[in-house]
Amino acid sequence: MKRLLTITALAIVLALVPARRGHTQTDVTFTKIGEEVNQKVIKVFGAGGFKGLASYGSGVLIDKEGHFLTINSHILDTRDLRIHTYDGTKHHCDVVCREPELDVALCKIKWGARQGEIEHYFDLQTAFKRPPLPTGTNVLAFNNMFQLAVRDDAMTMQRGVVASYAPLYGRIGVFDAAYRGNVYVIDAITNNPGSGGGAITTRKGELIGLIGKELRNELTNTWINYAIPLNAYTEVPDKDGKKIRVSIADMVKLKENYRPAPKRELAKNTSYHGIILVPNVVERTPPYVEEILPGSPADRATTKLKPDDLIVYVEGLPVPDINSFNNILATYGPGAEIKLEVQRGDKLTSVTVKLDKPIGTSKK
Amino acid sequence: MTKIYIAIGLTIALMAVGMSPIRAVEVDKRLVEIEKKRNDLINRIKPAVVSVMGRDPRTKNVIGLGSGVLIDDDGHALTNFHVVTAFGYLAKTMQCGLPDGKLYDCVLVGTDAIGDIALIKLLPATPDQKFPKATIGDSDKLKAGEWSFLMGNPFGLAYDFQPTVTFGLLSATNRYQNVDGRFEYANFIQVDTSANPGNSGGPLFNMYGELVGILGAGPSSRRIRMNSGAGFCISINMVKNFLPGMRAGLAMDHATLGAAMESENDDGVLSRVLVKSVITSDAQRRGLEVGDQLTNFAGKPVFTVNAFKNLLGQFPRGWRVPMTYRREANRVETLVRLMGATQREVDEPKEGKDPKGGPARPVAPPPSGPAAKFYVEKKNFANYYYNDLAQKRVLSKHTEYGDFSKMTGDWTIRLGGKLLTGVAPKPITGAIAIREKGSADGTSPKVLADIDGLDFPLEPLSTKEKPEAFRDPPDSGGFVLAMYHYRQFLVYGEKGFSKDQFYHVGVEPFFPPLGDKPNYMKSMVLAEVFYTKHAGVPGRFYFATEDDIVNGWKRGQLIGMEIEPDKDEDGCEIVFSDYKDIGGGRQLPGKMHVRRGMKKYADFIITSATLK
Repeated sequence: MKRLLTITALAIVLALVPARRGHTQTDVTFTKIGEEVNQKVIKVFGAGGFKGLASYGSGVLIDKEGHFLTINSHILDTRDLRIHTYDGTKHHCDVVCREPELDVALCKIKWGARQGEIEHYFDLQTAFKRPPLPTGTNVLAFNNMFQLAVRDDAMTMQRGVVASYAPLYGRIGVFDAAYRGNVYVIDAITNNPGSGGGAITTRKGELIGLIGKELRNELTNTWINYAIPLNAYTEVPDKDGKKIRVSIADMVKLKENYRPAPKRELAKNTSYHGIILVPNVVERTPPYVEEILPGSPADRATTKLKPDDLIVYVEGLPVPDINSFNNILATYGPGAEIKLEVQRGDKLTSVTVKLDKPIGTSKK
Repeated sequence: MTKIYIAIGLTIALMAVGMSPIRAVEVDKRLVEIEKKRNDLINRIKPAVVSVMGRDPRTKNVIGLGSGVLIDDDGHALTNFHVVTAFGYLAKTMQCGLPDGKLYDCVLVGTDAIGDIALIKLLPATPDQKFPKATIGDSDKLKAGEWSFLMGNPFGLAYDFQPTVTFGLLSATNRYQNVDGRFEYANFIQVDTSANPGNSGGPLFNMYGELVGILGAGPSSRRIRMNSGAGFCISINMVKNFLPGMRAGLAMDHATLGAAMESENDDGVLSRVLVKSVITSDAQRRGLEVGDQLTNFAGKPVFTVNAFKNLLGQFPRGWRVPMTYRREANRVETLVRLMGATQREVDEPKEGKDPKGGPARPVAPPPSGPAAKFYVEKKNFANYYYNDLAQKRVLSKHTEYGDFSKMTGDWTIRLGGKLLTGVAPKPITGAIAIREKGSADGTSPKVLADIDGLDFPLEPLSTKEKPEAFRDPPDSGGFVLAMYHYRQFLVYGEKGFSKDQFYHVGVEPFFPPLGDKPNYMKSMVLAEVFYTKHAGVPGRFYFATEDDIVNGWKRGQLIGMEIEPDKDEDGCEIVFSDYKDIGGGRQLPGKMHVRRGMKKYADFIITSATLK
């Protein structure tokens, strides 16, 4: 085991050491890369400052006109959006377009009477072409966590490893994320208040993603550190069921002509199981079964649920309370077979329920 | 043996599922070397890492409070102020574990409550034991993107006191944070290295194994204070400024300028930093006015208010630092003495009942154990035992240049030299005579001064004395009175001053005679300082910390003094140099440079001295 750990540690070290010969660990620093990237990352200031919502965030400059990308958040809900660039200059800005499906917003510096120019920015056309980073790749994070930087202060720089490249979707209600595509999960604590919109780069300083919002798993009370890849896209059904593809690349290309994807129909309560739980009276009411509606999917199950059964797992996910049960159920549509683990007395029993369409919907 | 079984089991299991075991990759030799280098470094520096322990007043159990690091072989160690106050009161004695597996008794020496630093001292197990120590580095050289180690005892995990080592990147330097409204972390270093409760007070090492910071409190967050991706490390260069005072048992205070700064405008490119308000202070005496532009402070250019706060936050109260400000076309470069940031009383959390009706704070138990005999309580000191020790050390060294304690009779000093108050230097002669019992009532002293043919008599202890006599001769700030204080110090030492008004305050910057175009940062020396007060007049006495060829000083010599007869005006400063033997193993300065504020008064030469 110890050897395995050593090998893992060495593999990490190997990845960190550039190919140049004669270098030692002590010589290899990210000082120069950090200085370069710092010039392209900005501190964003806007709405917030109440209910524990930060009024500050981060962003990345993407062209000389002063366009920048950040996370689509409450910070942008202001008429006075401001940024501070690396040299301490303060600019007022406008939101150009926002895409809730991607959780990304494009903004632009208001130049006023004198048109200025941004000298340092990320070249997105190159960045869009980069393939996704494989798991285990070393990355750097640049952000303004805890608002530690203002004006010309340098952004916080962190190092981490891509732990996985996977969709956040499927955890809606657990991780309340709007974006359903793939994200980079990072092993470092990158997602703090103010980090959202910051840059995730390779160790050469190449932009690969935007640090996401602060997201907490309500079941395990853990926070997830993730970034939305620059080549992020998602497909959203319009009202005719036709799939519309939305991407950061489109936002950047179309700018003010970009139209956000149509609002997604809420998946909530679109399926019917027929399990009536005890009244949800306290904050964390355990999901005890009160009754099963006759003729409902739950009633038709091979193993039947009984009153006073306690549902402990849904599809392998723990459900400590009624809210989490409902949230997880809401992610399954009609026709889905879900496996429940219920505690009856001191025994665990498996129950499989095939969900139906809600009562009252036509059968066409 | 068990390992083999596991290995065999694993192989069979893998074969069973039709896989061959994953083979270890060939590792590049260079990486093995790098890893070994890193291991060696850790093994070399870790013996100096301290686990700070204390007895919980409620459970009576000894528990881990935090971490620390040894900085000399006498057993002095740095930790956080919030570690030694973890129980709600300032712990006077505690215990510390070292990686040698032993638990040592330990006493509080000094504190910097605002900077969140405490100096403690481990007692050696045997009289001749020397402790391992960390090499102190230069935190100003650190850059974001460099690697570093944190060491300490998070969660009190290590019962054998082997430090937990975490490795990470320096996220940023020159940070400024007010932590919980309680601590001011100025010019601190931010790391992404994993830091957890119990790591507090532990050392930050650079990749050369040099101590460059002390981990402090983390960012306030909705999340619990576990590894939050940001560790705040107090820069060792700030600690260096406070260390001599803490070694002398002081409860140190930080400084304010006496003037608030603001950005000229809040928009667009970085604008000028302007003086927003000025209160009665040395800054005001140096001519600083609202609307002036601050361009340089303590030798560093000032572009933002934050940068100014970062610079200011690194100095103890009472320090004198160079400052440059601009008013229209005029550029003024001056020295400014910093005032205290807080009332000294608030340094220590108040014990007992909270006057506001809050929960009662635990009452500090008296110092206990073998370390208790190294603790002496005194108001405004962290531990007066070490101040007394520091005083004795300085005074005993000073006595090597002459013992004046028997010279209680009349003193006559004849002066030559130049008066510097006019357009051109003017040669003068003069004499100072101090009569031990020369006053009108025949019991208290009298000073008779003849400067350039003018008489300046002074009865320093007489209540009937004219106020201006204390500041005579004009433009000197009180040279006559200063000579009287000088004799008090040489002859009587502590007994020559008011009760509790004679103590060591660590080191402060001291400025030798300055030319017309002075480079303050270059000419500045650090001197050990005593604060005194006699008959209501505060004074300072400066001692050379090392032999100084440029200024002709020897270590331990009295190189300067100051008195401030009127708190609203600049007092008299004297720089002593060119020490000469006057017989009986006693030395007196051959030269005295006298100045008031930024103005020169005279360059005196002592032509003869008769001390009885």
